[in-house]
Amino acid sequence: MTNGPREIDCQEALDRLYEYIDEELTPERAKEIRAHLKKCAPCLAVTEFEAAYIRFLEARTRAKEAPEGLRKRVLEQLLFETEPPPQEP
Amino acid sequence: MTSAPDEKRRAFEAEALPHLDTVYRVALRLSGNEAQAEDLVQETMLKAYRSWHQYKPGTNVRAWLLTILRHTFINEYRKARRKAVEVDVNRIEAFTVFEQVQETDPEGRFFDQLVDEEVLGAIDRLPDEFRETLILSDIEGLSYAEIANITEVPVGTVKSRLFRARQALQRELYDYAAEMGYIKRREE
Repeated sequence: MTNGPREIDCQEALDRLYEYIDEELTPERAKEIRAHLKKCAPCLAVTEFEAAYIRFLEARTRAKEAPEGLRKRVLEQLLFETEPPPQEP
Repeated sequence: MTSAPDEKRRAFEAEALPHLDTVYRVALRLSGNEAQAEDLVQETMLKAYRSWHQYKPGTNVRAWLLTILRHTFINEYRKARRKAVEVDVNRIEAFTVFEQVQETDPEGRFFDQLVDEEVLGAIDRLPDEFRETLILSDIEGLSYAEIANITEVPVGTVKSRLFRARQALQRELYDYAAEMGYIKRREE
């Protein structure tokens, strides 16, 4: 086997778990994790659990929109602000 | 004929205003209440409009707005935030919730039984710097680099804060779910 991903241990896989889920790793590092998860059921289980948790957080918190009244007030505010900011002397 | 102020307003409306929902959601979680969040948003957008000449077209306008929001919150609102009992982020042992549920609920189905208010309430009890990191990542989906830029810390600090914030929040939600009977605690 040549040019396969570098072998990593469970500790390293778990240290990088969130970076892996958040897609913050370089392709090479992500490949190392994927290779480890393929053959390590305990690490795969915790990774899947944490990924489900983060999906749950996103689903529960992202929906809220700014109230319509607020949007209107912000727009009105801009109409009153037509002057450029004072220039430095 | 269009005047310069008209043009400025048009540019601001086209580029900055589409991020109003983001600014509002972050303001809401930073301040912890709706009335204050609205004040905070209005002030942020006004400041952004007044310093629109400092914004470089084509750069990250969302991050720029969130930076203004964060400074406004820290300088003028943070003191007024009611202090709830904060979640302890210092005694985090990694992945303990998973250890608890791995045999009974390895897919974390118990999370689905929690209602939104319980989740948001627990987020609101995270200490400031952990809360803002988690909000920017998990609510708004920003990258570590963007969060580092907005919160003015190295990327490594973002990683460690996010790790502790997520684990502490998960522990809170698990404890709550166990208390409410959504999940049975494992005998220890």
